[in-house]
Amino acid sequence: MFKYILRKLLALIPKLLVMSVILFFALELLPGDALSRTMPPDQYQALSEAQKVAAREALGLNAPPVIRYFRWLNQIFHGDFGYSASTGQNIGTMLAGRLPYTIELSFYGLLLATAVGLLLGFLSAVMKNTIVDYFCTTISVFGISLPEFFFGIVFIILFSVQLKWLPSGGRMPVGAHGFFSRVPYLVLPVMTMAISLTAALVRYTKNSMMDVMGKDYIKTARSKGLRETTVSFKHAFRNSLIPTMTLIVMRLPRLVGGSAVIEMVFNYPGIGNMALTAVNAGDIPVVMITTMTTGVMVLLSSTLVDIVTAMLDPRIRLG
Amino acid sequence: MQENDHILRVQDLKTDFKVGRRTVHAVNGVTFDVRRGKTLCIVGESGCGKSVTAHSIMQLLPPNGTIAGGTISYYTRDGACEILSNYKRSGPRMRAIRGKEISMIFQDPMSTLNPVYTVGSQIMEMLKKHEKVSKAEGKARIIRLLGELGIPNPEIRYDQYPHEFSGGMKQRIMIAIAMICNPTLLIADEPTTALDVTIQAQILDLIRKMQESYGTSVILITHNMGIVVEIADDVAVMYMGRIVEFGSVQQIFSHPVHPYTRALMRSVPVLGMNKDQELAVIEGTTPDASTVFTGCEFAERCECARPECFHRFPKDTEIEAGHRVRCLLYEEGGEENG
Repeated sequence: MFKYILRKLLALIPKLLVMSVILFFALELLPGDALSRTMPPDQYQALSEAQKVAAREALGLNAPPVIRYFRWLNQIFHGDFGYSASTGQNIGTMLAGRLPYTIELSFYGLLLATAVGLLLGFLSAVMKNTIVDYFCTTISVFGISLPEFFFGIVFIILFSVQLKWLPSGGRMPVGAHGFFSRVPYLVLPVMTMAISLTAALVRYTKNSMMDVMGKDYIKTARSKGLRETTVSFKHAFRNSLIPTMTLIVMRLPRLVGGSAVIEMVFNYPGIGNMALTAVNAGDIPVVMITTMTTGVMVLLSSTLVDIVTAMLDPRIRLG
Repeated sequence: MQENDHILRVQDLKTDFKVGRRTVHAVNGVTFDVRRGKTLCIVGESGCGKSVTAHSIMQLLPPNGTIAGGTISYYTRDGACEILSNYKRSGPRMRAIRGKEISMIFQDPMSTLNPVYTVGSQIMEMLKKHEKVSKAEGKARIIRLLGELGIPNPEIRYDQYPHEFSGGMKQRIMIAIAMICNPTLLIADEPTTALDVTIQAQILDLIRKMQESYGTSVILITHNMGIVVEIADDVAVMYMGRIVEFGSVQQIFSHPVHPYTRALMRSVPVLGMNKDQELAVIEGTTPDASTVFTGCEFAERCECARPECFHRFPKDTEIEAGHRVRCLLYEEGGEENG
């Protein structure tokens, strides 16, 4: 198991490198020269030709892209993420202020979706063709077929505007700090974020459970005289989780990427919001770093899910 | 015969399956006894209801299968009688019987072990369910049994997962699960069908060895006549959900009377037979299980069929002590005509 985890972590290195190569060279293909991507367009226009030449020389932008890629990588390794082209702020500082918020949002979203999705999927498989099953199936059809921001808007109208239970957006009241002052601000975005993954998981877990319940080893478990609850939980549920974990891994990019829209809807100051603002402003350095950060989050969390899967299934540990 | 000789008595068992809107009578009035410490073989072609009979005894039928009639009585070690067919499928009384009194091994060892638990823990689960033993004591007992079943290095194997075992070894593990609580009846549902021929003999030897050392009664389900003659004390030949002939292994093999039994015997190669001689084939195929019959189910494939066979149901006829046959040829006054 330890060897498996180590191998998985080592495999992260090439994955991250490939991602950074693709990202750097894709943005290199954009129109305009490298200098124009380091400052706002009007400022770039204001520069004289001589100033541009001098600036390129000073910033080392005359070097071929491959060299600049390695310089960029080297800077990132030293914690220097560069500066925003539109505001001139240090990107590292910007990230430090916002990343924890996004991690918090995504983490609770994933946790909620997994817990509720697996539970409802399990219940609707065990109580097949009962009211519980019909309820879960109906809910999951809505969750799968409607986009997340729709639920975000509905939740805001319902819980903030009409019922006035929860704030419609933001992070925490001015001057407040600590986890509990953040909770009311987290409820709606987390729910919105979790809803589509939950719906997918309910269906998937149910199908997977029903598939496993027909397996011969379930008959073996019953032939031992075990209780039906032991059979379905200990023997069936754990096996049904193995394919479900694959679904979670595949849905992670959508979860983390989807957080940008949700952060927008709830005016939540995370990196998704930061990335969208940067895209609108044509702020390439920030786009690069936020995309890279999102990629790292997806890779790390999918590695985590892989490790959980290996804990569930001994056959994976060897492979 | 005394009640005490029997461990299981199945009377007029009927098991139905709901397939869509139709009801299929998979087992249609089966009656037999299992003698204490002896082996009963149930033989028949695929789909004749032999497996369903076994699953009915254990109440392990799939959700669309139900016991529609008849009684299954089980006689415990202290002589008490439990009517299994009255118990709820997963109720506490049925669960107390499963594994502890009657246990079962299945056809395909590749899929009958749970892939995510070690084999040791899967055997331990059975033991802990039915007996109060300490962990160390239980483990020692399991390792001893694994050794008896011919598994090398049982201490190491105990902590391994099913995918680290070969098919034959997995079937040994299944036998260990079935035997760890020392049940009085072991039901083996085609335990060797999915295995190599060389492994088949080993597994059968093990079942016989277990039976000898623990005095277990065995119901062995098979379609292999060679296995029957090796291992059986009593034989039940099934066709289309009914037992067509029942008797001791001597009675069935030296004096088979039902045309179906005789046809089955002729279709099996025998050691030393002329290798140029063609094996006999039973003409036709087994009818669909939902076919409605007006007479003997075997009539259309039977070489001895007479016109009356097609519109009269045969009754069980005892032609010798313990030798029953369900054929019109042997009913009152029928014998001289046959």
